[in-house]
Amino acid sequence: MPLDDSQRYSRQIQLPEINVKGQEKLSRSTVLIAGAGGLGSLSALYLTAAGVGHVIIVDHDQVELSNLNRQLLHRESSIGRPKALSAAESLGRLNSSIQITPVQATLDQGNIDDLLKGVDLIVDGCDNYQTRQVINRACLSHGLPWIFGGVRGFNGMATSFVPGSFTCFECIIPDPEKSEPGQLNPIQGILGPTAGIIASIQAIEAVKLLVGMGSSLVNRLMHLSGLDMRITTSALTPNPDCRVCNPVRKKRTQKNDHPV
Amino acid sequence: MIIQFNGLEETVPRGVTISQLIELFKEGDPHVIVEQNGRYIYPKDYDTCMVMENDRIEFINPNLGG
Repeated sequence: MPLDDSQRYSRQIQLPEINVKGQEKLSRSTVLIAGAGGLGSLSALYLTAAGVGHVIIVDHDQVELSNLNRQLLHRESSIGRPKALSAAESLGRLNSSIQITPVQATLDQGNIDDLLKGVDLIVDGCDNYQTRQVINRACLSHGLPWIFGGVRGFNGMATSFVPGSFTCFECIIPDPEKSEPGQLNPIQGILGPTAGIIASIQAIEAVKLLVGMGSSLVNRLMHLSGLDMRITTSALTPNPDCRVCNPVRKKRTQKNDHPV
Repeated sequence: MIIQFNGLEETVPRGVTISQLIELFKEGDPHVIVEQNGRYIYPKDYDTCMVMENDRIEFINPNLGG
């Protein structure tokens, strides 16, 4: 590890759970951050600062003035520019020792398999159900971990899905479009720090999973109620009726592979 | 009987199910997530899952913004 990086990461290398070996694991890791909005901004900043070796940041959108109360990667001067490029520039100014790849695209079924090549972990910074559905299915198929985060108003939730989780995203969060078509994704109010808290939790989860330390939110759903400042976690149990992860689990068990 | 509902003490009738609790508290979000004593409850179990005295119940409205 170069001397300057030893200084840069010295405060986390001091942590016995991370140490030099953990730092080296981070530097060999590739993380895809799906979205450069409120969640993706903060998780990308922390993972870039922590020394994840390759950060891929995917977003199809342009920066708007209304983003700036929470999307801290962007500046007034970025308004109208692609978020992926604006994000990559900000991240590059924070840490020039790592590789940062902006991808100006909508993450969908058509491109996700290519984008996940060489990726170790996905951090969710999406603002809609459909993209999370795409991520969920691709991660189940590729056996990759991903960290869900979602926010609205003063509230947020997070959990981690890894190969071997009891549940998948679609087990626990039903598709809102199925019961209320057309009601999806209205513009929602949000206080910036709400996204910051959830994104920070996602970043901690990512570092823990990449280094292989601590106990993560796997099989637990964390919920923040910011207005009365309560945090609860609920234990997740298998959903035998899930049509998404059960077939994958059965297939993997039959193959004698790691059960999902 | 007394339960802890979203962090607050509430009195509810004995023998209610999760489904009845959703009606009782006029929860209008069809996607609400229910947690009972720190355990996620699947919607298919709402009709049969009984609420007991001193239970900790959370109604969580899914947050899908980013």
